[in-house]
Amino acid sequence: MKKTAAFFQAMAASLREIGVTFREGDWKTKVSFVIFGFGPLMRKYYLRGIAFLALEILYIWYMISFGASYLAQFGTLGTVETHMDPETFVTVYGDNSFLILLWSLLSIFATIFLICLWRMNISENRREEVALKAGKEVPTVRQDLHKLIDGKFHYTLLSLPTLGIFVFTILPVIFMVCVAFTNYDFTHQAPTKLFSWVGLANFKSLLSFGGSGFGATFTKVLSWTVVWAFFATFINYFLGMALAMLINTKWIKFKKLWRTILVMTIAIPQFVSLLYVSKLFASDGLVNSYLLKWGVISQALPFWTNPLWAKVTIVILNCWVGIPYMMLISTGILMNIPADLYESAKIDGANTFQMFRKITLPYMLFVTGPYLLTTFTGNLNNFNIIYLLSGGGPTTMSMTGGAGTTDLLITWLYKMTVNDTNYCMAAVIGIMVFAVTAVISLVVYGMLPSVRDEEGFQ
Amino acid sequence: MKKKLLTILLAGTMAVSALGTCMTASAASSGEIVIWTAEPLMSVTQTMAEEFLAENGYDYSVTVEAVGAGDAASNMITDVEGGADLYGFAQDQLSRLVAAGAVQPLTGTGYDTWIEEENGSGSVEAATFGSTLYAFPQSADNGYFLYYDSSVVTDPTSLETIIADCEAAGKNFYFEINNGWYQVAFFFGAGCTLTYETSDDGTFTSCDISYANEQGLVALKEMIELASSSSFQNGSSISSATNVGAIVDGTWDASEIQKLFGENYAAVKLPSFTGSDGEEYQLGGFSGYKLLGVKPQTDADKLKACLDLAQYLTGTEVQLAVYNEDGWGPSNLTAQEDEAVQADIALSALAEQSNYSMGQGQYPDDYWTLATSLGDDIISGNLTSSTSDEDLMAVLEDFEAQCSSYVQ
Repeated sequence: MKKTAAFFQAMAASLREIGVTFREGDWKTKVSFVIFGFGPLMRKYYLRGIAFLALEILYIWYMISFGASYLAQFGTLGTVETHMDPETFVTVYGDNSFLILLWSLLSIFATIFLICLWRMNISENRREEVALKAGKEVPTVRQDLHKLIDGKFHYTLLSLPTLGIFVFTILPVIFMVCVAFTNYDFTHQAPTKLFSWVGLANFKSLLSFGGSGFGATFTKVLSWTVVWAFFATFINYFLGMALAMLINTKWIKFKKLWRTILVMTIAIPQFVSLLYVSKLFASDGLVNSYLLKWGVISQALPFWTNPLWAKVTIVILNCWVGIPYMMLISTGILMNIPADLYESAKIDGANTFQMFRKITLPYMLFVTGPYLLTTFTGNLNNFNIIYLLSGGGPTTMSMTGGAGTTDLLITWLYKMTVNDTNYCMAAVIGIMVFAVTAVISLVVYGMLPSVRDEEGFQ
Repeated sequence: MKKKLLTILLAGTMAVSALGTCMTASAASSGEIVIWTAEPLMSVTQTMAEEFLAENGYDYSVTVEAVGAGDAASNMITDVEGGADLYGFAQDQLSRLVAAGAVQPLTGTGYDTWIEEENGSGSVEAATFGSTLYAFPQSADNGYFLYYDSSVVTDPTSLETIIADCEAAGKNFYFEINNGWYQVAFFFGAGCTLTYETSDDGTFTSCDISYANEQGLVALKEMIELASSSSFQNGSSISSATNVGAIVDGTWDASEIQKLFGENYAAVKLPSFTGSDGEEYQLGGFSGYKLLGVKPQTDADKLKACLDLAQYLTGTEVQLAVYNEDGWGPSNLTAQEDEAVQADIALSALAEQSNYSMGQGQYPDDYWTLATSLGDDIISGNLTSSTSDEDLMAVLEDFEAQCSSYVQ
């Protein structure tokens, strides 16, 4: 709330300054409200004035030549469909809804930047006027630029990453969010077909139960996603820690050998080993073939074909991938626990379990809390394990949208985009993935011991 | 802050305008025809296409890329403008391509009459959506039949014997019942029907389905019985199969299966089975086709070149060359009469099976997903021999209702 209030106060102050600048400004400043950089130019700060003016002209040129035509169609996302001339059979491409949406968004951002530029242009005018009235020197462009490698060096450093994040992350995310409100699916495929805004229809479909609604399937997939993330995270965590402690004990010989063997699983690329293991446990795979051959079983074990078996198999196989990592991390942290804590505990007569519960575990949780959280959110979106092991299968008639019983939200999303070309529903699922991950992260983050009590172990 | 914003703005606007110019530039047609074909056919396609274009005075270069019939449609739909000019695809993808406007209609171009004259009626039907012909039939071998190891299977005409023989020998019997394409063997065999009517704008207008009845029950129970066998494996790809006694597969795997079975290599029509009602049923199936589609073109000259090239690439000469290269069964009537084609074991089995198979029409994409779910329910043991008839009937009714709901 405080932050919101502060934001509005800053906005009001900014608006007030614009008003004051206009009221108190001379005619040069007033013209600057329309023609950027007019004031600085008239006051003979040419470089600054030209920069402002050039950017304004660039924007206008961009909008007239390119952006405006797309932006004008933003409301409908195109009206002329691609059609074939019935005489010559030549195809004439119509509006491309996809490009209209993309370039419209870019144009909107360009406009927002222009408004920022306009605002900067106004405060520049104000700064110059105030300085001139008070008879002070206005800092030269050279001085301003010099600041960028000195006092404001962080701006220089951050400009490239910011641009990258905008182009490669923010813009696609906003684009995807927009797609969630359209009917962009396989019957509305740009460039040959148009798609248009449908409001909240996709969200309604996601939450509609019964019939062909996605509600029941979504709940099932979501609950398995959370269950999976829970088991995948904590089984690995505790088993990895146990393994590290086991190898750390005195009576284990060849410590380095064991660690090396375990780390070998990390050395092999995950997707290779996962595909291989998936085949190994298939109903016609090595495991089943040999068990059948030796007469241990008379029917192949349904590792991937039975939903429950598949879920359990995935969780167990994930241990094999995840435990070595956890073991490595734990080994380092365990060695860091001050030995005197254990010594004094021993003198007080604590047994091994008590020492684990009162010393080792709290220390581990304190240090690895953030790691646990990131692992958990990572597991919510653990595409590799699920897709490479079971492919989300087996499917069942009781689930819609091509979802399988071991599908996570993220693999379901993938199937929707790649198999069904159902981009609009996939975008909705994407938003849901974000919501789930964000809520869990924020809530758990606040509860972490290392966040609540930073000094706990010093 | 100000300078940073300026930089970003400047760079951003320049990038945008640069992109804009690029896009307009690439829209102009280049003198290149891109063809997507199966990997083994790349070199034969390249040489024959180049020769044809040169002989007929077309000034286009040919680029052949390896995109299989299974992936071509998805790739085309994702990016029509960036897709190939000619691409081979399996006929079940036609509805998606028409819906996405990624395939050039041929009716009225003059090429349609040629297609109808040169190819079997089934293949023409396969390339038709609504009342419009959309593609050049490329092969008539998209059907399946039984390959078996003659040292394992004693009587390939009976499903029960095949299962028993495979169980006795500890071998696997592959039948991909969680695939809507193979699954219909049981339903159609038992006498059920499932067809869709289509309209010219790429939509499905009506569905004729009879699954929820006694015949459907017989088919479903037979699949459940098959799935309960220890020899049963769900699959149809020989390259990932192990310990194979028999497999229901198509001609594309013929050479590999022949290598695997060696002297015991044999192929026949699908077997018959004794249903739960004591009657004898012959397994049915689809006979499908591979088609060559042309991307909608914005340039009249290039369109002409593409259509001429597509016609040539699906003509007698090339279909025979493709048969020799990779064993594709021709759809072209003249090519079908060829001696080598007539003597081919796999193609003969396919021809034999085609008496019991139905020409594969158009099916909505959702049908295939639904059929996979039904098959998975059988394999995963959600439906077993102890499931009551009422419950099985409820499943069939649900299946029927969902199939009907795909009609727009």
